[in-house]
Amino acid sequence: MVRFENVGMRYGPGPEVLRDVTFVLEAGSFTFLTGPSGAGKSTLLKLMFLAEPPSRGLVTLFGNDLATTKRSAFAALRRRIGVVFQDFRLLDHLSAFDNVALPLRLAGGRPDDYTQDVEELLGWVGLADRLHARPPTLSGGEQQRVAIARAVVARPDLLLADEPTGNVDAEIGQRLIRLFGELNRLGTTVLIATHDRSLIENARAREIRLVDGRLVEMRAART
Amino acid sequence: MSAPARKRGRILPREAGAAPLDVVIGVMAFLAALALGASLVADRAAEGWRAGLSGRLTVQVLPPEHGAPNPALAQETDAALAVLRSTDGVVHADEVSQEETLKLVEPWLGSGAVVADLPLPRLIDATLVPGARIDLATLTQRLKQAAPDSTLDDHSHWIARLKGVADAVIWSAYGILALIAIATASAVAFATRAGLEAHHDIVSLLHQMGARSGFIARAFEWHYLISALLAASVGGILAAAFFLAAGGLESVGIEPVPFLPPLSLQPAELGWLIVVPLSSAFIAWATARLSVLAALRRIY
Repeated sequence: MVRFENVGMRYGPGPEVLRDVTFVLEAGSFTFLTGPSGAGKSTLLKLMFLAEPPSRGLVTLFGNDLATTKRSAFAALRRRIGVVFQDFRLLDHLSAFDNVALPLRLAGGRPDDYTQDVEELLGWVGLADRLHARPPTLSGGEQQRVAIARAVVARPDLLLADEPTGNVDAEIGQRLIRLFGELNRLGTTVLIATHDRSLIENARAREIRLVDGRLVEMRAART
Repeated sequence: MSAPARKRGRILPREAGAAPLDVVIGVMAFLAALALGASLVADRAAEGWRAGLSGRLTVQVLPPEHGAPNPALAQETDAALAVLRSTDGVVHADEVSQEETLKLVEPWLGSGAVVADLPLPRLIDATLVPGARIDLATLTQRLKQAAPDSTLDDHSHWIARLKGVADAVIWSAYGILALIAIATASAVAFATRAGLEAHHDIVSLLHQMGARSGFIARAFEWHYLISALLAASVGGILAAAFFLAAGGLESVGIEPVPFLPPLSLQPAELGWLIVVPLSSAFIAWATARLSVLAALRRIY
Protein backbone atom coordinates (compact mmCIF):
# COMPACT_ATOMS: atom_id res chain seq x y z
CA MET A 1 0.00 0.00 0.00
CA VAL A 2 2.71 2.47 1.11
CA ARG A 3 6.46 1.91 0.94
CA PHE A 4 9.18 4.34 2.03
CA GLU A 5 12.81 3.48 1.31
CA ASN A 6 15.61 5.70 2.62
CA VAL A 7 13.42 8.76 2.31
CA GLY A 8 14.89 12.11 3.25
CA MET A 9 13.10 15.42 3.30
CA ARG A 10 14.30 18.98 3.72
CA TYR A 11 12.51 22.27 3.10
CA GLY A 12 14.65 24.44 0.87
CA PRO A 13 18.24 24.74 2.06
CA GLY A 14 17.29 23.86 5.67
CA PRO A 15 18.30 20.77 7.61
CA GLU A 16 16.73 17.40 6.88
CA VAL A 17 13.42 17.00 8.64
CA LEU A 18 13.22 13.31 7.77
CA ARG A 19 16.31 11.10 7.44
CA ASP A 20 16.56 7.69 5.87
CA VAL A 21 12.99 6.77 6.74
CA THR A 22 12.12 3.24 5.68
CA PHE A 23 8.86 1.44 6.40
CA VAL A 24 5.95 -0.33 4.76
CA LEU A 25 2.23 0.01 5.42
CA GLU A 26 0.56 -3.20 4.35
CA ALA A 27 -2.89 -3.01 2.79
CA GLY A 28 -5.60 -3.16 5.46
CA SER A 29 -3.20 -2.37 8.32
CA PHE A 30 -3.87 -0.02 11.23
CA THR A 31 -0.83 1.94 12.41
CA PHE A 32 -0.11 4.69 14.90
CA LEU A 33 2.61 7.21 14.12
CA THR A 34 4.01 8.69 17.29
CA GLY A 35 6.83 10.91 18.37
CA PRO A 36 7.47 14.22 20.06
CA SER A 37 6.49 17.54 18.53
CA GLY A 38 8.86 18.52 15.73
CA ALA A 39 9.90 14.92 15.11
CA GLY A 40 8.63 15.06 11.52
CA LYS A 41 5.23 13.35 11.84
CA SER A 42 3.36 16.00 9.86
CA THR A 43 6.08 16.06 7.20
CA LEU A 44 5.87 12.28 6.85
CA LEU A 45 2.10 12.55 6.42
CA LYS A 46 2.58 15.31 3.80
CA LEU A 47 4.78 12.98 1.78
CA MET A 48 2.15 10.28 2.06
CA PHE A 49 -0.75 12.42 0.93
CA LEU A 50 1.31 13.91 -1.91
CA ALA A 51 1.53 17.45 -0.60
CA GLU A 52 5.32 17.50 -1.00
CA PRO A 53 7.85 15.50 -2.97
CA PRO A 54 10.64 13.81 -0.98
CA SER A 55 14.12 15.31 -1.27
CA ARG A 56 15.54 11.82 -1.73
CA GLY A 57 14.60 8.20 -1.44
CA LEU A 58 11.81 6.10 -2.88
CA VAL A 59 8.12 6.50 -2.10
CA THR A 60 5.69 3.94 -3.52
CA LEU A 61 1.97 4.51 -3.16
CA PHE A 62 -0.66 1.98 -4.26
CA GLY A 63 2.12 0.29 -6.24
CA ASN A 64 3.12 3.50 -8.00
CA ASP A 65 6.70 4.74 -7.69
CA LEU A 66 6.02 8.46 -7.27
CA ALA A 67 9.32 9.43 -8.89
CA THR A 68 8.21 7.89 -12.17
CA THR A 69 4.45 8.42 -11.92
CA LYS A 70 3.06 11.15 -14.16
CA ARG A 71 1.86 14.20 -12.28
CA SER A 72 -1.42 13.97 -14.16
CA ALA A 73 -2.05 10.67 -12.35
CA PHE A 74 -1.61 12.21 -8.89
CA ALA A 75 -5.18 13.52 -8.67
CA ALA A 76 -6.55 9.97 -8.98
CA LEU A 77 -4.10 8.76 -6.33
CA ARG A 78 -5.08 11.61 -3.99
CA ARG A 79 -8.76 10.71 -4.31
CA ARG A 80 -7.92 7.30 -2.85
CA ILE A 81 -6.57 8.97 0.29
CA GLY A 82 -8.64 10.46 3.09
CA VAL A 83 -6.83 13.02 5.21
CA VAL A 84 -7.74 14.47 8.60
CA PHE A 85 -5.64 17.61 8.81
CA GLN A 86 -4.43 18.80 12.18
CA ASP A 87 -5.89 22.26 11.45
CA PHE A 88 -9.02 20.63 9.89
CA ARG A 89 -8.84 22.77 6.72
CA LEU A 90 -12.60 23.05 6.35
CA LEU A 91 -14.05 25.47 3.80
CA ASP A 92 -15.60 28.23 5.87
CA HIS A 93 -18.13 29.29 3.21
CA LEU A 94 -19.60 25.79 2.94
CA SER A 95 -21.96 24.10 5.38
CA ALA A 96 -20.88 21.07 7.39
CA PHE A 97 -22.89 18.96 4.94
CA ASP A 98 -21.14 20.42 1.89
CA ASN A 99 -17.73 20.09 3.52
CA VAL A 100 -18.31 16.41 4.21
CA ALA A 101 -19.77 15.84 0.73
CA LEU A 102 -16.76 17.44 -0.96
CA PRO A 103 -14.79 14.23 -1.69
CA LEU A 104 -17.89 12.64 -3.22
CA ARG A 105 -18.48 15.74 -5.27
CA LEU A 106 -14.86 15.72 -6.47
CA ALA A 107 -15.32 12.09 -7.50
CA GLY A 108 -18.21 13.15 -9.71
CA GLY A 109 -21.06 12.17 -7.39
CA ARG A 110 -24.44 13.87 -7.56
CA PRO A 111 -26.38 15.10 -4.53
CA ASP A 112 -29.08 12.49 -5.22
CA ASP A 113 -26.49 9.78 -4.72
CA TYR A 114 -24.76 10.96 -1.58
CA THR A 115 -27.17 13.11 0.45
CA GLN A 116 -28.36 10.23 2.64
CA ASP A 117 -24.86 8.85 3.24
CA VAL A 118 -23.50 12.25 4.25
CA GLU A 119 -26.40 12.96 6.59
CA GLU A 120 -26.07 9.54 8.22
CA LEU A 121 -22.34 9.97 8.70
CA LEU A 122 -22.77 13.42 10.23
CA GLY A 123 -25.36 11.90 12.53
CA TRP A 124 -22.90 9.16 13.49
CA VAL A 125 -20.28 11.72 14.56
CA GLY A 126 -22.95 13.55 16.58
CA LEU A 127 -23.60 16.44 14.25
CA ALA A 128 -27.05 15.58 12.92
CA ASP A 129 -28.38 18.91 14.09
CA ARG A 130 -25.46 20.92 12.64
CA LEU A 131 -25.78 19.95 8.97
CA HIS A 132 -26.25 23.53 7.83
CA ALA A 133 -23.80 25.12 10.24
CA ARG A 134 -20.71 26.70 8.76
CA PRO A 135 -17.34 25.87 10.30
CA PRO A 136 -16.80 29.29 11.96
CA THR A 137 -19.93 28.68 14.02
CA LEU A 138 -18.79 25.21 15.15
CA SER A 139 -16.64 24.44 18.18
CA GLY A 140 -13.15 23.01 17.71
CA GLY A 141 -14.38 19.52 18.50
CA GLU A 142 -17.29 19.83 16.08
CA GLN A 143 -14.97 21.07 13.35
CA GLN A 144 -12.71 18.10 13.99
CA ARG A 145 -15.61 15.70 13.64
CA VAL A 146 -16.64 17.34 10.35
CA ALA A 147 -13.03 16.99 9.15
CA ILE A 148 -13.03 13.31 10.11
CA ALA A 149 -16.37 12.70 8.44
CA ARG A 150 -15.02 14.36 5.28
CA ALA A 151 -11.93 12.13 5.36
CA VAL A 152 -13.87 8.88 5.66
CA VAL A 153 -17.04 9.57 3.67
CA ALA A 154 -15.66 8.26 0.38
CA ARG A 155 -14.29 5.11 2.06
CA PRO A 156 -10.71 5.81 1.00
CA ASP A 157 -8.12 3.11 0.46
CA LEU A 158 -5.76 4.96 2.78
CA LEU A 159 -6.76 7.12 5.73
CA LEU A 160 -4.18 9.51 7.21
CA ALA A 161 -5.10 11.42 10.35
CA ASP A 162 -2.97 14.03 12.08
CA GLU A 163 -3.96 14.29 15.77
CA PRO A 164 -7.60 13.45 15.00
CA THR A 165 -8.74 13.38 18.61
CA GLY A 166 -6.86 16.42 19.85
CA ASN A 167 -9.93 18.61 20.31
CA VAL A 168 -12.55 16.14 21.49
CA ASP A 169 -13.28 14.63 24.86
CA ALA A 170 -12.26 11.06 25.68
CA GLU A 171 -15.67 9.56 24.93
CA ILE A 172 -15.90 11.16 21.48
CA GLY A 173 -12.24 10.27 20.93
CA GLN A 174 -12.92 6.57 21.53
CA ARG A 175 -15.98 6.76 19.32
CA LEU A 176 -13.91 8.25 16.49
CA ILE A 177 -11.25 5.59 16.92
CA ARG A 178 -14.04 2.98 16.65
CA LEU A 179 -15.09 4.69 13.41
CA PHE A 180 -11.53 4.38 12.11
CA GLY A 181 -11.49 0.74 13.23
CA GLU A 182 -14.75 0.06 11.43
CA LEU A 183 -13.36 1.63 8.28
CA ASN A 184 -10.19 -0.46 8.71
CA ARG A 185 -12.26 -3.63 8.93
CA LEU A 186 -13.89 -2.65 5.64
CA GLY A 187 -10.42 -2.60 4.03
CA THR A 188 -9.06 0.90 4.53
CA THR A 189 -5.43 1.19 5.55
CA VAL A 190 -5.25 3.58 8.49
CA LEU A 191 -2.35 5.64 9.81
CA ILE A 192 -2.97 7.93 12.79
CA ALA A 193 -0.39 10.41 14.01
CA THR A 194 -1.03 11.15 17.67
CA HIS A 195 0.43 12.11 21.02
CA ASP A 196 -2.44 10.44 22.86
CA ARG A 197 -0.88 7.40 24.58
CA SER A 198 -4.24 6.22 25.88
CA LEU A 199 -5.49 5.79 22.33
CA ILE A 200 -2.42 3.79 21.45
CA GLU A 201 -2.48 1.63 24.58
CA ASN A 202 -6.16 0.79 24.14
CA ALA A 203 -5.64 -0.28 20.58
CA ARG A 204 -3.75 -3.34 19.48
CA ALA A 205 -2.30 -1.58 16.49
CA ARG A 206 1.20 -1.35 15.22
CA GLU A 207 3.18 1.74 16.21
CA ILE A 208 5.96 3.47 14.36
CA ARG A 209 7.84 6.21 16.14
CA LEU A 210 9.68 9.19 14.78
CA VAL A 211 12.33 11.01 16.77
CA ASP A 212 14.32 13.86 15.30
CA GLY A 213 13.41 12.82 11.78
CA ARG A 214 14.40 9.19 12.14
CA LEU A 215 12.19 6.15 12.49
CA VAL A 216 13.66 4.81 15.71
CA GLU A 217 11.14 2.41 17.13
CA MET A 218 8.48 0.12 15.75
CA ARG A 219 5.98 -1.98 17.64
CA ALA A 220 4.13 -4.75 15.86
CA ALA A 221 0.38 -5.05 16.13
CA ARG A 222 -0.69 -7.14 19.10
CA THR A 223 -3.05 -9.99 18.51
CA MET B 1 -36.71 6.45 2.11
CA SER B 2 -33.75 8.45 0.86
CA ALA B 3 -33.10 11.98 2.04
CA PRO B 4 -33.98 14.72 -0.44
CA ALA B 5 -30.96 15.95 -2.42
CA ARG B 6 -29.53 19.24 -1.27
CA LYS B 7 -28.49 22.19 -3.38
CA ARG B 8 -24.73 22.19 -3.52
CA GLY B 9 -22.82 25.16 -2.17
CA ARG B 10 -20.49 27.12 -4.43
CA ILE B 11 -16.95 25.80 -4.41
CA LEU B 12 -15.65 29.37 -4.37
CA PRO B 13 -17.24 32.02 -2.15
CA ARG B 14 -18.74 35.05 -3.84
CA GLU B 15 -16.07 37.67 -4.27
CA ALA B 16 -16.81 41.04 -2.79
CA GLY B 17 -13.78 42.68 -4.40
CA ALA B 18 -14.52 41.88 -8.05
CA ALA B 19 -16.26 45.19 -8.85
CA PRO B 20 -13.13 46.93 -10.23
CA LEU B 21 -12.63 44.14 -12.78
CA ASP B 22 -16.28 44.41 -13.80
CA VAL B 23 -15.81 48.15 -14.35
CA VAL B 24 -12.68 47.54 -16.45
CA ILE B 25 -14.44 44.91 -18.56
CA GLY B 26 -17.50 47.15 -18.93
CA VAL B 27 -15.40 50.09 -20.15
CA MET B 28 -13.38 47.83 -22.46
CA ALA B 29 -16.59 46.43 -23.91
CA PHE B 30 -17.95 49.94 -24.45
CA LEU B 31 -14.81 50.96 -26.35
CA ALA B 32 -14.80 47.68 -28.28
CA ALA B 33 -18.43 48.21 -29.28
CA LEU B 34 -17.60 51.75 -30.44
CA ALA B 35 -14.70 50.42 -32.52
CA LEU B 36 -16.87 47.67 -33.97
CA GLY B 37 -19.62 50.19 -34.73
CA ALA B 38 -17.09 52.50 -36.39
CA SER B 39 -15.92 49.66 -38.61
CA LEU B 40 -19.53 48.93 -39.58
CA VAL B 41 -20.17 52.61 -40.33
CA ALA B 42 -16.99 52.80 -42.43
CA ASP B 43 -17.89 49.62 -44.30
CA ARG B 44 -21.39 50.91 -45.05
CA ALA B 45 -20.02 54.30 -46.10
CA ALA B 46 -17.48 52.70 -48.43
CA GLU B 47 -20.20 50.59 -49.98
CA GLY B 48 -22.40 53.67 -50.35
CA TRP B 49 -19.62 55.65 -51.98
CA ARG B 50 -18.81 52.80 -54.31
CA ALA B 51 -22.45 52.31 -55.26
CA GLY B 52 -22.88 56.03 -55.78
CA LEU B 53 -19.86 56.47 -58.02
CA SER B 54 -19.46 53.23 -59.89
CA GLY B 55 -21.63 52.81 -62.93
CA ARG B 56 -21.34 56.49 -63.69
CA LEU B 57 -19.14 58.71 -65.80
CA THR B 58 -18.50 62.41 -65.52
CA VAL B 59 -17.31 64.51 -68.42
CA GLN B 60 -15.91 67.94 -67.70
CA VAL B 61 -15.64 70.51 -70.47
CA LEU B 62 -13.02 72.86 -69.11
CA PRO B 63 -12.90 76.60 -69.60
CA PRO B 64 -9.51 78.04 -70.62
CA GLU B 65 -7.22 78.63 -67.62
CA HIS B 66 -6.22 82.08 -68.88
CA GLY B 67 -7.81 84.71 -71.06
CA ALA B 68 -11.39 85.17 -72.18
CA PRO B 69 -14.05 82.50 -71.70
CA ASN B 70 -14.31 80.02 -74.51
CA PRO B 71 -17.44 80.97 -76.50
CA ALA B 72 -17.55 77.45 -77.92
CA LEU B 73 -17.90 75.79 -74.46
CA ALA B 74 -21.64 75.24 -74.93
CA GLN B 75 -21.12 73.73 -78.38
CA GLU B 76 -18.40 71.44 -77.03
CA THR B 77 -20.72 70.37 -74.22
CA ASP B 78 -23.48 69.53 -76.68
CA ALA B 79 -21.01 67.63 -78.84
CA ALA B 80 -19.75 65.64 -75.85
CA LEU B 81 -23.36 64.88 -74.88
CA ALA B 82 -24.03 63.63 -78.38
CA VAL B 83 -21.00 61.36 -78.22
CA LEU B 84 -22.07 59.94 -74.87
CA ARG B 85 -25.65 59.38 -75.94
CA SER B 86 -24.47 57.51 -79.00
CA THR B 87 -22.21 55.24 -76.99
CA ASP B 88 -23.36 51.71 -76.30
CA GLY B 89 -23.80 51.07 -72.59
CA VAL B 90 -24.70 54.62 -71.68
CA VAL B 91 -28.26 54.75 -70.38
CA HIS B 92 -28.52 58.40 -69.72
CA ALA B 93 -26.36 61.49 -70.12
CA ASP B 94 -27.28 64.99 -69.11
CA GLU B 95 -25.58 68.24 -68.39
CA VAL B 96 -25.35 69.26 -64.75
CA SER B 97 -27.05 72.62 -64.35
CA GLN B 98 -25.14 75.73 -63.32
CA GLU B 99 -27.03 75.79 -59.98
CA GLU B 100 -26.07 72.23 -59.21
CA THR B 101 -22.45 72.89 -60.13
CA LEU B 102 -22.40 75.86 -57.75
CA LYS B 103 -23.82 73.66 -55.00
CA LEU B 104 -21.03 71.19 -55.57
CA VAL B 105 -18.32 73.80 -55.00
CA GLU B 106 -20.18 75.54 -52.19
CA PRO B 107 -18.53 73.53 -49.35
CA TRP B 108 -15.11 74.71 -50.52
CA LEU B 109 -15.72 78.14 -52.07
CA GLY B 110 -18.91 79.27 -50.39
CA SER B 111 -21.72 80.96 -52.31
CA GLY B 112 -22.26 84.42 -53.71
CA ALA B 113 -21.84 86.52 -56.77
CA VAL B 114 -18.06 86.13 -56.86
CA VAL B 115 -18.31 82.36 -57.00
CA ALA B 116 -21.02 82.56 -59.65
CA ASP B 117 -18.61 84.56 -61.84
CA LEU B 118 -15.89 81.97 -61.63
CA PRO B 119 -15.13 80.06 -64.82
CA LEU B 120 -16.53 76.73 -63.80
CA PRO B 121 -16.37 73.69 -66.06
CA ARG B 122 -19.45 72.32 -67.71
CA LEU B 123 -20.28 68.93 -66.24
CA ILE B 124 -22.01 66.01 -67.89
CA ASP B 125 -23.27 63.18 -65.71
CA ALA B 126 -23.71 59.86 -67.50
CA THR B 127 -25.28 56.72 -66.13
CA LEU B 128 -24.19 53.36 -67.43
CA VAL B 129 -26.06 50.13 -67.94
CA PRO B 130 -25.26 48.04 -64.80
CA GLY B 131 -22.28 45.87 -65.57
CA ALA B 132 -21.60 47.60 -68.91
CA ARG B 133 -17.98 47.50 -70.04
CA ILE B 134 -17.05 50.63 -71.91
CA ASP B 135 -13.78 51.11 -73.73
CA LEU B 136 -12.73 54.28 -71.92
CA ALA B 137 -9.70 54.91 -74.18
CA THR B 138 -11.85 54.93 -77.31
CA LEU B 139 -14.52 57.01 -75.62
CA THR B 140 -11.92 59.53 -74.47
CA GLN B 141 -10.56 59.74 -78.01
CA ARG B 142 -14.03 60.30 -79.46
CA LEU B 143 -14.78 62.94 -76.87
CA LYS B 144 -11.51 64.74 -77.57
CA GLN B 145 -12.34 64.82 -81.25
CA ALA B 146 -15.82 66.19 -80.61
CA ALA B 147 -14.92 68.44 -77.66
CA PRO B 148 -11.18 69.17 -77.42
CA ASP B 149 -11.53 70.71 -73.92
CA SER B 150 -13.30 67.71 -72.42
CA THR B 151 -11.95 65.24 -69.87
CA LEU B 152 -13.49 61.93 -68.91
CA ASP B 153 -13.62 60.70 -65.34
CA ASP B 154 -14.91 57.23 -64.48
CA HIS B 155 -14.36 57.88 -60.70
CA SER B 156 -12.17 54.80 -60.32
CA HIS B 157 -9.47 56.96 -58.77
CA TRP B 158 -11.92 58.31 -56.18
CA ILE B 159 -13.44 54.94 -55.52
CA ALA B 160 -9.97 53.52 -54.89
CA ARG B 161 -9.06 56.36 -52.53
CA LEU B 162 -12.34 56.21 -50.62
CA LYS B 163 -12.01 52.45 -50.35
CA GLY B 164 -8.52 52.96 -49.03
CA VAL B 165 -9.78 55.38 -46.38
CA ALA B 166 -12.63 53.06 -45.40
CA ASP B 167 -10.28 50.08 -45.27
CA ALA B 168 -7.91 52.06 -43.06
CA VAL B 169 -10.77 52.88 -40.68
CA ILE B 170 -11.97 49.27 -40.66
CA TRP B 171 -8.52 47.80 -40.04
CA SER B 172 -7.81 50.43 -37.40
CA ALA B 173 -11.03 49.37 -35.69
CA TYR B 174 -9.96 45.74 -35.88
CA GLY B 175 -6.60 46.72 -34.41
CA ILE B 176 -8.34 48.53 -31.57
CA LEU B 177 -10.55 45.49 -31.01
CA ALA B 178 -7.46 43.28 -30.83
CA LEU B 179 -5.81 45.64 -28.34
CA ILE B 180 -8.97 45.71 -26.23
CA ALA B 181 -9.11 41.89 -26.33
CA ILE B 182 -5.50 41.74 -25.13
CA ALA B 183 -6.18 44.31 -22.39
CA THR B 184 -9.30 42.42 -21.29
CA ALA B 185 -7.42 39.13 -21.21
CA SER B 186 -4.62 40.76 -19.22
CA ALA B 187 -7.07 42.23 -16.72
CA VAL B 188 -8.79 38.87 -16.27
CA ALA B 189 -5.46 37.06 -15.96
CA PHE B 190 -4.42 39.55 -13.29
CA ALA B 191 -7.73 39.16 -11.48
CA THR B 192 -7.54 35.38 -11.74
CA ARG B 193 -4.08 35.38 -10.20
CA ALA B 194 -5.38 37.63 -7.43
CA GLY B 195 -8.35 35.29 -7.03
CA LEU B 196 -6.07 32.29 -6.83
CA GLU B 197 -3.99 34.09 -4.25
CA ALA B 198 -7.06 35.09 -2.25
CA HIS B 199 -8.47 31.55 -2.40
CA HIS B 200 -5.14 29.78 -2.11
CA ASP B 201 -6.33 27.75 0.87
CA ILE B 202 -9.37 26.49 -1.00
CA VAL B 203 -7.46 25.73 -4.19
CA SER B 204 -4.72 24.00 -2.24
CA LEU B 205 -7.24 21.89 -0.32
CA LEU B 206 -9.17 20.89 -3.44
CA HIS B 207 -5.92 20.00 -5.16
CA GLN B 208 -4.91 18.00 -2.11
CA MET B 209 -8.18 16.13 -2.09
CA GLY B 210 -7.64 15.01 -5.66
CA ALA B 211 -9.76 17.54 -7.52
CA ARG B 212 -8.97 17.43 -11.20
CA SER B 213 -7.42 20.62 -12.54
CA GLY B 214 -10.45 21.07 -14.77
CA PHE B 215 -12.77 20.97 -11.74
CA ILE B 216 -10.87 23.76 -9.99
CA ALA B 217 -10.52 25.74 -13.22
CA ARG B 218 -14.28 25.50 -13.80
CA ALA B 219 -14.98 27.11 -10.43
CA PHE B 220 -12.96 30.14 -11.55
CA GLU B 221 -13.80 30.27 -15.24
CA TRP B 222 -17.56 30.30 -14.70
CA HIS B 223 -17.20 33.07 -12.16
CA TYR B 224 -15.26 35.24 -14.62
CA LEU B 225 -17.42 34.26 -17.58
CA ILE B 226 -20.62 35.39 -15.85
CA SER B 227 -18.99 38.55 -14.51
CA ALA B 228 -17.55 39.45 -17.93
CA LEU B 229 -20.82 38.68 -19.70
CA LEU B 230 -22.79 40.97 -17.40
CA ALA B 231 -20.21 43.78 -17.35
CA ALA B 232 -19.60 43.65 -21.10
CA SER B 233 -23.34 43.60 -21.76
CA VAL B 234 -23.65 46.87 -19.88
CA GLY B 235 -20.76 48.32 -21.95
CA GLY B 236 -22.32 47.04 -25.18
CA ILE B 237 -25.73 48.46 -24.28
CA LEU B 238 -24.18 51.86 -23.56
CA ALA B 239 -22.41 51.79 -26.93
CA ALA B 240 -25.67 50.82 -28.66
CA ALA B 241 -27.33 53.74 -26.89
CA PHE B 242 -24.56 56.00 -28.18
CA PHE B 243 -25.19 54.94 -31.78
CA LEU B 244 -28.95 55.27 -31.34
CA ALA B 245 -28.45 58.75 -29.89
CA ALA B 246 -26.26 59.65 -32.88
CA GLY B 247 -29.10 58.57 -35.16
CA GLY B 248 -31.54 60.54 -33.03
CA LEU B 249 -29.51 63.72 -33.43
CA GLU B 250 -29.73 63.40 -37.20
CA SER B 251 -33.45 62.77 -37.06
CA VAL B 252 -34.03 65.97 -35.09
CA GLY B 253 -32.25 67.96 -37.75
CA ILE B 254 -28.70 68.22 -36.46
CA GLU B 255 -26.67 68.07 -39.66
CA PRO B 256 -23.99 65.44 -39.97
CA VAL B 257 -20.49 66.56 -40.88
CA PRO B 258 -20.31 66.98 -44.70
CA PHE B 259 -18.73 64.04 -46.57
CA LEU B 260 -18.62 61.94 -43.42
CA PRO B 261 -21.08 59.09 -43.08
CA PRO B 262 -23.75 59.29 -40.36
CA LEU B 263 -22.60 57.70 -37.11
CA SER B 264 -25.85 55.89 -36.49
CA LEU B 265 -26.14 52.15 -36.99
CA GLN B 266 -28.91 50.31 -38.80
CA PRO B 267 -30.93 47.85 -36.65
CA ALA B 268 -29.19 44.90 -38.33
CA GLU B 269 -25.82 46.48 -37.62
CA LEU B 270 -26.74 47.04 -33.96
CA GLY B 271 -27.20 43.29 -33.73
CA TRP B 272 -23.50 42.88 -34.42
CA LEU B 273 -22.72 44.59 -31.11
CA ILE B 274 -23.84 41.43 -29.28
CA VAL B 275 -20.53 39.99 -30.47
CA VAL B 276 -18.79 42.23 -27.92
CA PRO B 277 -20.21 40.76 -24.66
CA LEU B 278 -20.04 37.25 -26.11
CA SER B 279 -16.39 37.73 -27.08
CA SER B 280 -15.59 39.36 -23.73
CA ALA B 281 -17.15 36.43 -21.89
CA PHE B 282 -15.21 33.95 -24.03
CA ILE B 283 -11.94 35.83 -23.49
CA ALA B 284 -12.57 35.95 -19.74
CA TRP B 285 -13.48 32.26 -19.67
CA ALA B 286 -10.44 31.17 -21.67
CA THR B 287 -8.04 33.45 -19.81
CA ALA B 288 -9.27 32.37 -16.40
CA ARG B 289 -9.07 28.71 -17.37
CA LEU B 290 -5.57 28.96 -18.78
CA SER B 291 -4.37 31.03 -15.80
CA VAL B 292 -5.74 28.55 -13.27
CA LEU B 293 -4.42 25.52 -15.13
CA ALA B 294 -0.99 27.15 -15.40
CA ALA B 295 -1.01 27.96 -11.68
CA LEU B 296 -2.07 24.42 -10.77
CA ARG B 297 0.75 22.96 -12.84
CA ARG B 298 3.16 24.77 -10.55
CA ILE B 299 1.73 23.02 -7.47
CA TYR B 300 3.16 19.56 -6.69
